[in-house]
Amino acid sequence: MIEVRNLTKKYGDRTAINQLTFSVARGEILGFLGQNGAGKTTTMKILTGFMPATSGSASIGGFDVLENPYEVKKKIGYLPETPPIYPELLVYEYLSFVAELRGVSKSERSKKIDKVIELCHLGDVRRRLIGNLSKGYRQRVGLAQALIHDPEVLILDEPTVGLDPKQVNEARGLIKNLRGEKTVIYSTHILSEVAATCDRIIVIDRGNIVAQEALNPMGATGGVVKTEIIVRKVADDLRKKITSVSGVKEVHITSNGAHRLIVESEANEEVIAEVSRVVVESRSGLIRMSPVQQALEEYYLTLITGKGGP
Amino acid sequence: MRGSVAILKKELRSYFYSPVAYVILGVFLFIMGVIFAKFVDIYQRFNTVQRFGGAQGITLDKLATYLYQNMAFILCFVTPFLTMRLYAEEKRQHTLELLFTAPLKKFELVFGKFLAAYSLMVFMVVVSFIYVLFMIIWGNPELPIIATTYLGLLLALACYVSLGGLISAMTNSQAIAAVWTFIALLLLWLLQSLGQGISAKTGFVEWGPLLVFLSPLGHFNSFSEGLIHLKDIVYFLSFTVISLYFTYCVVESNRWR
Repeated sequence: MIEVRNLTKKYGDRTAINQLTFSVARGEILGFLGQNGAGKTTTMKILTGFMPATSGSASIGGFDVLENPYEVKKKIGYLPETPPIYPELLVYEYLSFVAELRGVSKSERSKKIDKVIELCHLGDVRRRLIGNLSKGYRQRVGLAQALIHDPEVLILDEPTVGLDPKQVNEARGLIKNLRGEKTVIYSTHILSEVAATCDRIIVIDRGNIVAQEALNPMGATGGVVKTEIIVRKVADDLRKKITSVSGVKEVHITSNGAHRLIVESEANEEVIAEVSRVVVESRSGLIRMSPVQQALEEYYLTLITGKGGP
Repeated sequence: MRGSVAILKKELRSYFYSPVAYVILGVFLFIMGVIFAKFVDIYQRFNTVQRFGGAQGITLDKLATYLYQNMAFILCFVTPFLTMRLYAEEKRQHTLELLFTAPLKKFELVFGKFLAAYSLMVFMVVVSFIYVLFMIIWGNPELPIIATTYLGLLLALACYVSLGGLISAMTNSQAIAAVWTFIALLLLWLLQSLGQGISAKTGFVEWGPLLVFLSPLGHFNSFSEGLIHLKDIVYFLSFTVISLYFTYCVVESNRWR
């Protein structure tokens, strides 16, 4: 659906993005991860036809962004970093304007507005002035704007910034629901978000792609997961038993109050299941066993600081 | 064209949802009213003098002409307030990203915005027709002259608005756009008097007449005297089209920065 080849953008002699190449399949949700200033927004602006690239090419749905911007723009919905809203308009007026701009026919317009208003939970503020809305609502109006014409491709630049935790959850749910139906590129610097919503991530650092991979169901990458196990007492040979499970790489034991084991293993459900069986059979009194979410974060940090890496 | 209509509707909404349109309309009509009342007063006094065998008085036609020449000048002050926000505000609010990533051609955008500000100005001028009605009811003005004056006014407004839009597209700040639009329009008016005093020549170019030709004042004045010259129409139309084209170029160049 989206093909990017050797895309480069220079601002003067500063290179914002350098030779990016990636593709996104139809129906896939791609997380675009990177620090502030890594080139996420620049890439998105090029994909949406807002600005041209210095070199390289990008195409969406078979249409080149530079040669056929009109066709590309019909296919995409875009939520920029700052929601492009007019404070002087009412919410539904604004959506109606965007729908008209996007070429939604008059007969369908009110139906589509109702649909996005419901989807983005804007019912309460339908007849309110956008300028008087809180940041979270504005962000949702921005999201509604990107969805109004039912685009095939959604490009969202940090869509959850400024939302409160409940709204972040709703927004994620919304994006997850689009899986399979729409192709989504989603930029963020919040890792848990990527783990929660995306099929695949691209990590970009100072304009270069430093990693590109699929997320496994356990929400980690790089083939290693950490599992935290808390037990009441540590049997003498527990560590040895766990280590002997094939696929387990390392076991750390700490005991500050409770006994806590960190098991590093292959990202494979069978391995984890085997570890849990071993722990239960050792009669150590299993209290809790949970994946360590930080795995992704650590992985990400090693990527962008250049220490180690996969 | 669909895009232009969407932009036009949205812009008109924005004008009438903020106090801008009402305040400007009110102030404009008030000032015109004061000027009209003053002129009527002067007209009556001249007529009284004339009746007792004094100097040649001004006619009702002249009264209308003076009124509209003043109006054309006052509209120079009004234009910046209506055109300043056209593009500067979009840039400040980051809404250009919306317009640029929608399937909207740039000329549709430029034309839609021009049309919005222009139709508002035309509306103001149409409302000012009240004064003509007074003259028609209590006097006997020559209607064809008033008709040509209105034609001239409409053409002049198109060039004011297109210039204001161009300047707004070049800056991020409404205030700066307003100030520069005002200065530019004022200079254009002053070119007339400036040009009349210059007799310098460089090769074929006679600077004096050239400056006079560049000023809208002379072109408008011939309309207000009941004359429709092709050169005046060409002047106003080409001025408008060139300004709109430059606006298009500036808007387009925003993408490259």
